[in-house]
Amino acid sequence: MSNADAHSGITHSGIIGRPINRVGGPERVDGTYRYVGDIKIPNVLHTRLVHLDCGRARIHSVDTSAALQMPGVRAILSGKELPASVKRFGPANRDRPILAIDETTFHGEPVAIVAADTVWAAAQGAAAVVVDYQELPGIYTVEDALAPGAALVQDPALRPNSAYKETNILNEWKFGWGAVDSAEADLVVENDYTFPMMTQFAIEPFTYAVEPTSDGITVYSAIQHPNYLQRVIAEFLDMPLSRVRVIAPDPGGAFGGKQHAKFEPLLAYLALRIGRPLRLELTLEESFQAARRTSAQAHIRTGFQRNGTLVFQDVEINYLIGAYEDIAGRLVAKGSYAGGGGPYRIPNVRILARGVFSNTVPSTAMRGFGLPQMNWPVECQIDEAARELGIDPVELRMKNLPEYGEVFMPQDPPADGRWAETLRKGADAIGWGKPLPPGRGRGISMGLKLGPTTGASYAIVRLHGDGSATVLAGTSDMGQGARTVYTQIAAHELGLSPQRIMVVMGDTQGVPFDLQTSASRSAVFMGNAVLRACRDVARQVQELAAEHYKADAVIVEPGTVEVGGQRKTFDQVMTDRFSKVKGEVIGSGSARAEYDETHPLNGRPAFYEVTCTAVEIEVDKETGVMVFHKLVTVADVGRALNSQHVAMQDDGGAIQGLGHTVMEQYFMDDRGRVRNLGALDYRIPTTMDTPRELISLHVENGDGPGPYGAKGAAEGGILAVSPAVAAAVCAATGAMIRELPLTPQRIWEALHT
Amino acid sequence: MSALHYARPESLADAIAILEQYGPGARVLNGGTDLMVRFQKMQVTPEAIVDIKRVRDMSDAIVWDGDSVTIGARVVMTRLIRDERIRRRYPALVDAASTVGSIQIRNRATLAGNICNASPAADTVPPLLVHGATVQLVGSSGSRETPLDGFFLAPGKTARAPDELLVSITIPPHRSPYGAAFGRLTRRHGVDLASINMACAIDAERAVTFAFGAVGPTPITVKDTSGALADHTVSDAQRDAALQALIARTSPISDVRASAAYRSAMLLVIGRRVLAQAQQRRADFDARE
Ligand SMILES: Cc1cc2nc3c(=O)[nH]c(=O)nc-3n(C[C@H](O)[C@H](O)[C@H](O)COP(=O)(O)OP(=O)(O)OC[C@H]3O[C@@H](n4cnc5c(N)ncnc54)[C@H](O)[C@@H]3O)c2cc1C
Repeated sequence: MSNADAHSGITHSGIIGRPINRVGGPERVDGTYRYVGDIKIPNVLHTRLVHLDCGRARIHSVDTSAALQMPGVRAILSGKELPASVKRFGPANRDRPILAIDETTFHGEPVAIVAADTVWAAAQGAAAVVVDYQELPGIYTVEDALAPGAALVQDPALRPNSAYKETNILNEWKFGWGAVDSAEADLVVENDYTFPMMTQFAIEPFTYAVEPTSDGITVYSAIQHPNYLQRVIAEFLDMPLSRVRVIAPDPGGAFGGKQHAKFEPLLAYLALRIGRPLRLELTLEESFQAARRTSAQAHIRTGFQRNGTLVFQDVEINYLIGAYEDIAGRLVAKGSYAGGGGPYRIPNVRILARGVFSNTVPSTAMRGFGLPQMNWPVECQIDEAARELGIDPVELRMKNLPEYGEVFMPQDPPADGRWAETLRKGADAIGWGKPLPPGRGRGISMGLKLGPTTGASYAIVRLHGDGSATVLAGTSDMGQGARTVYTQIAAHELGLSPQRIMVVMGDTQGVPFDLQTSASRSAVFMGNAVLRACRDVARQVQELAAEHYKADAVIVEPGTVEVGGQRKTFDQVMTDRFSKVKGEVIGSGSARAEYDETHPLNGRPAFYEVTCTAVEIEVDKETGVMVFHKLVTVADVGRALNSQHVAMQDDGGAIQGLGHTVMEQYFMDDRGRVRNLGALDYRIPTTMDTPRELISLHVENGDGPGPYGAKGAAEGGILAVSPAVAAAVCAATGAMIRELPLTPQRIWEALHT
Repeated sequence: MSALHYARPESLADAIAILEQYGPGARVLNGGTDLMVRFQKMQVTPEAIVDIKRVRDMSDAIVWDGDSVTIGARVVMTRLIRDERIRRRYPALVDAASTVGSIQIRNRATLAGNICNASPAADTVPPLLVHGATVQLVGSSGSRETPLDGFFLAPGKTARAPDELLVSITIPPHRSPYGAAFGRLTRRHGVDLASINMACAIDAERAVTFAFGAVGPTPITVKDTSGALADHTVSDAQRDAALQALIARTSPISDVRASAAYRSAMLLVIGRRVLAQAQQRRADFDARE
């Protein structure tokens, strides 16, 4: 079934909010969708990376002679052979070499790359490269990294202007308001919490291809930010942006792991050097070594009045990042800033957050962007206070939620939603307070994430001579359904059935600029750009109608113009006007949020993403095995542009949240090697691990800045899962566990040792 | 490096001849759910792959001879699980086979492959061990039958010679009443390898046999000599002591799946449950006959 079929019979009327099926959905299911890996490039060579089985090593020499003799092997490049002129790259600081040069700094950092006629020949060649190296001790934990006299993970020369360059600290952020030290509390809850090292685990592994062309270079990558990648490659190669074409087919899952360049610069360099197109498909194991979420350790003190009123929050949180910065600076700042308070009114807040370098897999963005790590301690503290004070956890939260329009973070916009409604809906749906069978427990939690603070999205809408339309938008549809939502906006604005609209993305040569696909931004930013482009088209159609019919024309409803007392659809106007000499109408629109130096994050959030998760679980106390009977998520989305998509995103977020809550974690040995690379011993939830009942609800008050009052969605579902589950486990067993994931073994240990 | 040789012989004799020619460099390909994964990851680098799916005399039949059953080397888990008579007589084996991987995996995974792969955590092995199964092997020097107990030498290593093929598995008849059960512990509910697994059988003479997996280099079979495990009247403490005496023969280690302490503790917990189910099935068996 094609997209057109999927939407046959659907008209534009009432299409906003409607649960229409996903554009591109059937193709993803029947296997006809073309991912990066399906793109065939003539004359391409396949590549494979060479890495070492240890966390950190000094490379003495790389002997490629035997490998070069292997059948099918065409070229090998090792870091040792890189000319000094080859630049480093990185989305924030350019600190990462395309291949390890003298030292590998994490388990899996490539030492060399082998290009061959087939995937198998490349793999055989990679296995035959002989690396003479000496294993070195590494920094693998926050404690190691912060110990006095600890070896430096990163060469200070890579960040000459940093005040922290002689330490393993990337940066330290201090946020807050009020006066924590003089705040008087009846109850102070003080605890340590940890959040595991985990990976995004997109089902599509990282896959790339690079093709040198006569007029520049084409890079194929399932990247979330095609324009960002374009810039990174242009700077890396000293080429103008116009000569770098990034083709980014919709990723097969990304979850933040595919935001930034990883091996594209390496392939670009080698492809130009040997004059052949190259492709690289990482194995799942290698994908685990390419990106992960930052792990975190928090020490937190929270003060309450006897009646449950929050008095202060005092948090110190260390995020353990990899050996390169990637976007950790932004992640630590943004994640800790908003998380420190959560969606609550807290008069005194003090946050100290650090990004800490280590010899571990590069950490990058993941759904929630630093917030799940922070929300975990913050919400657990509230439950602990509820238990200590004998106050119901829902009531305690209600008491501290700001009203609509109330300022709750002094430098930020006031509460933009009716958050009590979100909490109430979650509590009602889980049956809060109703009796439970023995062995079961319930937990509830909230979460708040800041929406994007800056941004720039541009869209072009072409209304063709036959009245159909093409929307050009540089967002990546990585499963969140951006194509569908833009189709709905254009259908509504232009009065077209969705079948007549095509959304084109993922090609920087023809599609206008979008800053990035992240931060739950696309419905709001690109959504507004598409909406404005449609309205630009409408204005032009109106003019065109007046001119063509030689009468006054007014738009009476989206997609319909009244001329000389007659109603005409845009479709009719277009066919009448362009029947002889053909043509089209081109509209453009943009949405921007500028840099604001006065704000701690250099920009005020466009909206708040507020969520509630509630669970009912059962624990087998003898084994620690947990069963999820029910899970409810509630998202304040302002306006659901597609109710099905919102529910699917929150379902997905919740299931992904169950991953780090109950099973996902990297196990590292004392040599810094990840011992559970791949799908065998790194567990993610299967369908059989999902809650027996999974309900995703939303709150819609039309109070968002996006089209028709929408706010961003899709990260919320993951924010509050861990604390809700921990509270439920505590309710069911009496054991409060502050270290994720809550594996059967860990629950058993809490109960029996 | 020489090219990989892929062979798909049609007769047992041809298959054995290729195995003989390549010796330990040859790998038998059955359902491939273990072999292909290891092959792709270059954890095995065979010179020859001998695909036995077309071998005429490798059976995919389940054949009863009185109360004894012989399962051909090509029988996949799905087929085993669906067999009505197997379901009635050997629910522990069916329970074990039903936990292997997913539906897709079970459609390809064979019982023979689960045995020959010699993973200490192989799920169908504990029930086969407590049932006293034997395996039939054919090689260049003829055929032989050997008890499964003793067949496993180390992780990934069996007493099978490089030129031998496992052609079938036989479960001997059991006098009723007889009851057996299987249990395992995993880290998640869907598709997972066992952190520990086990089977228990109680025969007509009330002799209790346990087999434990993933708690030593090979699955191990232990018999209760105390008599306490078959006796309904003993106290929980006496029963646990008898179970602990069996568990003491295991040697669990700590790895990414579980700690040694957790494995040991779970042997007792799951052991009690499996024992109770075996007793129940034996009692039901009694009632039926
Ligand atoms: C996703 C996944 C999940 C899994 N889950 C489980 C699980 O829950 N429990 C479990 O126990 N296993 C599990 N497995 C492992 C595997 O599916 C089983 O061990 C299966 O029974 C192997 O059978 P096969 O026919 O696929 O063997 P193959 O892969 O074909 O062979 C396995 C080994 O046995 C040898 N061999 C096979 N047949 C013969 C023969 N007739 N004579 C001599 N040697 C032979 C092969 O050379 C090879 O070394 C899983 C595997 C996967 C990929």
